[in-house]
Amino acid sequence: MTVHDDSHPESDDQDQGLFSLDTSVSSRAYVAEIWKRRDFALSLPIEELQSSHKDTLFGNIWHLGNPLLTAGVYYLVFGKFLEVSRGIDNFVVWLIIGVFTYQLTSGTILGGASSIASRQGLMRSFRFPRAIVPISNMIGELLAFAFQFLVIVIFAFATGVGPSRRWFLLPVILLIHTAFNLGGSFIAARLNDGFRDIQQLIPFVLRLAMYASGVMFPLDRIIGRNDLVDWLVRLNPIASLINFYRWMILGTELNVATSALTVVESLLILWFGFRFFKVAEYKYGQP
Amino acid sequence: MTELSVRVTDLHIEFEVFSDRRAGLRQRLATQEGSGRRVIEAVNGVSFETRRGEAIGVIGSNGSGKSTLLSALAGLIKPTSGEILVSCEPKLLGVGAVLLNGATGIRNIRLGCLALGMSSEELDSKVAEIVEFTGLGEAIDRPLKTYSAGMRARLHFAISTAVQPEILLVDEALSVGDKEFRKRSRAKIESLLANAGTLFLVSHSTNEIERLCTRGLWLEKGKLLADGPIGDVVAEYGADT
Repeated sequence: MTVHDDSHPESDDQDQGLFSLDTSVSSRAYVAEIWKRRDFALSLPIEELQSSHKDTLFGNIWHLGNPLLTAGVYYLVFGKFLEVSRGIDNFVVWLIIGVFTYQLTSGTILGGASSIASRQGLMRSFRFPRAIVPISNMIGELLAFAFQFLVIVIFAFATGVGPSRRWFLLPVILLIHTAFNLGGSFIAARLNDGFRDIQQLIPFVLRLAMYASGVMFPLDRIIGRNDLVDWLVRLNPIASLINFYRWMILGTELNVATSALTVVESLLILWFGFRFFKVAEYKYGQP
Repeated sequence: MTELSVRVTDLHIEFEVFSDRRAGLRQRLATQEGSGRRVIEAVNGVSFETRRGEAIGVIGSNGSGKSTLLSALAGLIKPTSGEILVSCEPKLLGVGAVLLNGATGIRNIRLGCLALGMSSEELDSKVAEIVEFTGLGEAIDRPLKTYSAGMRARLHFAISTAVQPEILLVDEALSVGDKEFRKRSRAKIESLLANAGTLFLVSHSTNEIERLCTRGLWLEKGKLLADGPIGDVVAEYGADT
């Protein structure tokens, strides 16, 4: 059976083997195109990571040095000077887990938004699926997080936390976390391409989300005062994502229902973000 | 009759641009006027067909829509209306091509080839050949930001022609190179045409166009003024200016 092409009834394009570059492809074909360029998506952030500290004396040591110093400052201020515990065992490790894992989310979303603007030249020179741009940004953020995670482990071991069987779940936790981050990054990228004002607003949204995610202090401090706030905090997948890591390393409580909801929310955000980004595929990088 | 390589039907490309003097926010919110937005018709109703083995020179004054036409052929700009059909994905070679400025020439070659969809294995077997073709010598290990316009053009030409494209679009990229590079690039283009490829060349040098092309397209203000043998079109263009 032959399928008749109604759009060009009079033309003989099929015989000539001509096709249009302008047609939007199915999600499946789009993902296949991305997969074909996986080496490109991977080498772009690695290249930038390698050249990011080239003008410094210590060079690549800074990838580890930066998170080490960040954690060191928290240790000095909260652990030694203020001796804050906020009712939590090992508050310093609890805090740096929150700070670094939240940084992975905020960095991926903010970077996704700005990358669609900063990669204009690349997009105008070469034809490739534009989703590569936020994806390679996400890979770059994950690479930076690898060093931060190492620092978390160093501080955990130094304060007497041992490894446990829960650690085997790290890949699963990272996968769920990345699904959420990438979905958010796709949404931010598309919005920022339409309105460059978004890039200025995102840091404030992320700052607000940080307070609603229990990064610096436990959520019970803000829960129970206002129904709307309670409701938002309970639905907030970031708080739950951060708690996955705290559960894994420190053995804090894990609510099964909340965790299941977080998995569903993260996958939904990725699915929606991908579709939302792809719809405007041809617009990215246009003059 | 040889096969068609490109068919463009009634192509229109409009841009919304901002003029540099924009009205205040209040005024912009109150009225749609004064937003500084204007619509520019960069390409205005262009139609033509090309066949394999043809070399087409595109001429016209600055801002006549030549580069926009090439970007659209490469699939980098979406037509506002009309249709572009191609036999194979064209490769665009422009002077403004941007890669990673902080990375070395050789790393940029790898990135560019990967961006064009080459696999890692394919790249490993080709990279020495590409480096050789650029003729950049030891400069290949220097960061791209230290390169001159001509050196960038060499690098980009080498990347874009690493896998022989069926349709090659060249936008002013040859004129910045030196004599040696022009000789190499012409040899590459001739081999492309001999293998039934199609070349589109935008250049302000009508000499270069007459040397390489068989057919001419004359664009002015987004409209196609002439389409025919290159000698005739160049003569017509010369008589007008």
